[in-house]
Formats: sequence, C-alpha cells, structure tokens
Amino acid sequence: MDFIAEPFRNVRDFLEAGGLIVQVLLVVALILWAMIFERALYYWRVMPTLIANTQDAWSARTDHSSWYAKKVKEKLLAETSRQLAGSVTLIKAVVALCPLLGLLGTVTGMIQVFEVMAALGTGNARAMAAGVSAATLPTMSGMVLALSGLYPISRFEHIVDRELRRLGDHMITH
Amino acid sequence: MSARIIRRFGLVATVAALAAASAPASAQGSLQDLLNQTRNVRAQEEQLNKQREQEFLRDRNKQSQRLADAKRAQAAEQQRSNTLSAQFDANEKKLTELQSQLDAKAGTLGEMFGVVRQVAGDAASTVHNSLISAQFPDREEFLQNLAQSKALPSIDELEKLWFEIQREMTETGRIVTFEGTVVTPDGAETQQPITRIGSFTAVSDGQFLNFLPESKVLAELSKQPASRYVSTAKDLEAADSGYVNATIDPTRGSLLAVLVQTPGLVEKAQQGGVVGYVIMALALMGILMAIFRFFVLSAVGAKISRQKKNIDTPSEDNPLGRVLSVYTKDTNVDTETLELRLDEAVLREIPPLERGLSALKILAAVGPLLGLLGTVTGMIITFQQIQLFGTGDPKLMAGGISQALTTTVQGLVMAIPMVLLHAFLASRSKALIQVLEEESAGIIAEHAEKARA
Repeated sequence: MDFIAEPFRNVRDFLEAGGLIVQVLLVVALILWAMIFERALYYWRVMPTLIANTQDAWSARTDHSSWYAKKVKEKLLAETSRQLAGSVTLIKAVVALCPLLGLLGTVTGMIQVFEVMAALGTGNARAMAAGVSAATLPTMSGMVLALSGLYPISRFEHIVDRELRRLGDHMITH
Repeated sequence: MSARIIRRFGLVATVAALAAASAPASAQGSLQDLLNQTRNVRAQEEQLNKQREQEFLRDRNKQSQRLADAKRAQAAEQQRSNTLSAQFDANEKKLTELQSQLDAKAGTLGEMFGVVRQVAGDAASTVHNSLISAQFPDREEFLQNLAQSKALPSIDELEKLWFEIQREMTETGRIVTFEGTVVTPDGAETQQPITRIGSFTAVSDGQFLNFLPESKVLAELSKQPASRYVSTAKDLEAADSGYVNATIDPTRGSLLAVLVQTPGLVEKAQQGGVVGYVIMALALMGILMAIFRFFVLSAVGAKISRQKKNIDTPSEDNPLGRVLSVYTKDTNVDTETLELRLDEAVLREIPPLERGLSALKILAAVGPLLGLLGTVTGMIITFQQIQLFGTGDPKLMAGGISQALTTTVQGLVMAIPMVLLHAFLASRSKALIQVLEEESAGIIAEHAEKARA
C-alpha cells in the first residue's frame, strides 16, 4: 500500500512547504486543466458535428452568390468561431497569471524570512529555511503550471484557426 | 577670686580715708584717734594675714595628699592595663588557633556552601522566569536571599532549597487548575481559575496567558493564536481526567510572545505606506469598475439575445436593435448603401461596449509597477537607515524592508484579479461586438430572404 500513499505524502509535504500560494496554485492548476480538458473534449467530440451542421446549413441554401449569401456565410462563420474559441481567452489569462502568482509567493516567502530574522536575528539559518522554501516553491510551481498551459493554448488556437479556414473554404460561394 | 578683689578694694578705701583725715582742717584730738584707729586696723590686718597663711598651709598639705592619691590610682590602672593587654594577646592567639581549627574541621564543607549559593542563584533565575511562580509567587525572595547571604546556611535553609528545586521539578510535570490573578488586555486584574500545563502554557477562560516575571502574574495575550488552538484550550479546561488534545508552547512562552508581535492583516497592509494606500485605492476602484461593467455588459447581452429571437421588431434599447433598425426603417435600399449604413451603425455601438476595458488593462499593468515603486522607496528608506545607524540592528532596517516587500505583494494582489477581470470582461464584450460586426448583416440577410420568399 505504501507505494500508493507515498506520492500523496510527497504532494502533501510539498504543499505544506510551499505555503498558501502553492495551495492556491494547486486550485488554479485544477481549474486550468479542467478548462483545457473541456476544450480538448469539445474539439474531439462536439466540433465535428458543429462543423457538419454549419456546412449543412450552408449547403441547404439555394443562393450561394448574392450579397445576402455572403453575409449569411459570415454570420455562420462568426457563430462557429465563437463556439470554437469558448474559454481559450480565459485559459490564456490564467496561464499569464501563474507566474504572477508564483512571484506573489516569492515575496510573501521573503516577508516570512524577514519576520524570522526580526525575531531570531540572522544567525539561525534553519529557522529561515521555511521562509526560503515558501519563497522558492511557488515560483517554481507557477512557472511549471504556466509552461504546462502554453502547449494546449497554441494547439487550440491552431485547431480553431485551421477548422475555420477549412470551413470557410468548404462553404463555396460562386 | 572675687573675695580677694573685694578685700583689696577695702584697703584702697582705707588709704583714702587716711588722706581725708590728714587734711589741715582736722582737730588735735582726732589725730590721736586716727593713730589708734590705724594701729587697730594694722593689728586686725596682721591677724587676718596670719589666718590666711595658716589656711594656705593647710591647703598645701591637702594638695600633696591628693597628688599621692592620684599617683597611686595611676599605678593601679597601669597595672590593670598590662594585665588586660596580656589577656588580649592571649585571646587573639586562641582565636587564631580556633579559626585554623575551624577551617581544618570545615574542610570541604566550605566548598559545599559555595555550591549551595550557586545552586540557589540558578534556581532563583529559573523560578524568576517560570510560569509556576504565578501559582507560588513567594519562592524567589528566599532563593535570592540564600544566594546572596554571606552567612553559612542553616539546615532548615538547605532543606527548603531542596524542597523548592524539587517542587519546581514536580510542578513542571503537572497539569493543575488554581485560582489566580489574570491581567486582561485593558489592564484590569481579575481573580479566576487558571489551568497550567507544567511550566509551558497557561490558559484561563479559553484564552492563552503570558507570564510576566516582574509582577509574577499572568496576562491575557492581546492576540490569541488561531481558533483551532484556542478551542483546544477550552477542551483542556473542561476536562477533569484522561487524555485531551491541547496546545503547548514548548519554548515556555516565547512563541506566544512572538505571536503578539507578528503583524495582523491590517498592520501588514499599513506597512505598505503611501504607495500601499495608492495601490489599494486603485485596486478598489478597478474592482468597482469591473463589477459595474459586468452588470452593464450582462444587461446588454441579455437584451441582444432577446432581440435576436425577435428580429421583426427592433427596439431602440439595445445595440443590435439599433443596428437592425437601420434596415427595417428603409427596406428598399440597395445592398451597398445598406452595408455602408450598417458599418456606420456598428461603429457607433462599439465604443460603449469597450468602455472601461482599457482602464482595467492599465490598472493591471500599473499594479506591479506601483509595487516596484514601493519596493524601491522602501529600499531607499532602508539604506538611509543603514547610513545613519549602520547595519548592527536588523530591526531598524525591518521597517523599510517590510514596506518594500509589502508593496510588491499589494501590487501583485492588485494585478492578479485585474488581469482576470479584464480577460473575462474583454471576452464578453468581444462576443457582443462580434454579434454586431459579423452577425448583424447576416441576420438582416436571412430576414430579408425570408421576407422575399
């Protein structure tokens, strides 16, 4: 059983050493990855039907060449792009926030170090160690979380871009 | 002495009387009288002198008698002095002898009394700082006296020293409740039951107490630890026996004392100084603005989606309705003019939807910058203090450093929600603008086609 409990214990120790900000980052990470999985699932399961429906709606029209037709196509594309983009902007904002949160943890950790220094002087390096780990761990976690979010974002943007272009090409205007 | 002066005066008076009698006016018979008188007086004088002479002689004998007496007395005293001096010397010798005898007999005991004094001093300082002294306040005086006294300690004192050390030791391991004086944070003294865990922690009425060594009373901490620790204190007081979860300060009060010194949230916010207040004011402004914009955008969005379902009758209370009304007012216009008019109408609607977003973005960017400003001013304060007082006292520098760090924290705490709020509101307003820019024409087109069909 120990090999199951061991990683959890490590995570708990990490959360305790990093202080409040690392715990906040954990919550942010859960939200971020929930949003990322929601988008990934959406692109995998829902997007094909949406694209097909839009395509069908266009194909059902008899008029493919007038000014009206062009405007209707623009409307269809705009609606699709809005649905495809979904929470990607929010994901981007959260990814941009992670290093800021890490920095916040660094500064609060430094404050902790200075509080210890004010109480015990500079002689006690061990007492300061808790503050130092509270200063460094959030920075690292924030960076790792931001990096982990960067690839999905670029991937999603690419998917949205590609699908919209393809859809636009497939909705033939004469 | 005065008697002699009067006698001499008498003589002078007699001579004056003689001179008066020899005046030429005196008679023959009276001269003879004077002669007789003079003779008589001389005889009397002689008599008197003789008497005096005898007196003197008598006196002389008496004086020599006295002198002899004094000389005898002196001799006797001299004799006594010699005897006493001899006795003193003898005593002195005996004393030295006895002292050396005493020293020889005391031997290692002298060392032991030194140890007793030292132990009493150590115990006095332990007792001075010990929480247990709140229960037994009169122990320190005895120990101090024993530590400072020059006299040899008596058996009673030795036994009492043993008892006090043993009592301190035993009490350290006990959890007891006793009636004692508690000083509340506002300075009032009350008598109430106090529960003491060894010499580590004391609680009363669910509050942690701090020991004041000078007055030997317990003071309620002005800042109590987190509520989960305070609740264990209540459990402890309520329990009579068995095992209870309780919080102990293993440093005998230093941790609790540091707790009082650590700044609370408000104090931490105040450490930021002027820059901190500016940041907080801006953050408040930004949040209020974001909330206001959220409600505005929600209302507009709701109206637009309602309008979408009811395209035939565009209302003037929402942007989409206003754009659609460009078409419904004049349905027979050609497509190019319609497009131009639509673009114009859409452009008019965009600014109100984007209002406040750039301000939020600027606030998000300004937060960390202001934090940096606070950091730099804090560091300047620190270096000025170093210039004045040197680096010896870290506490002097702590003010500047805490300002530096606090403003950074405040700047970040301001920037993080601003970034999120901006992203959220921007995506919301972007969706609405997209509806106007790209979908309004399509909606009109669909509507026109339906009308034509």
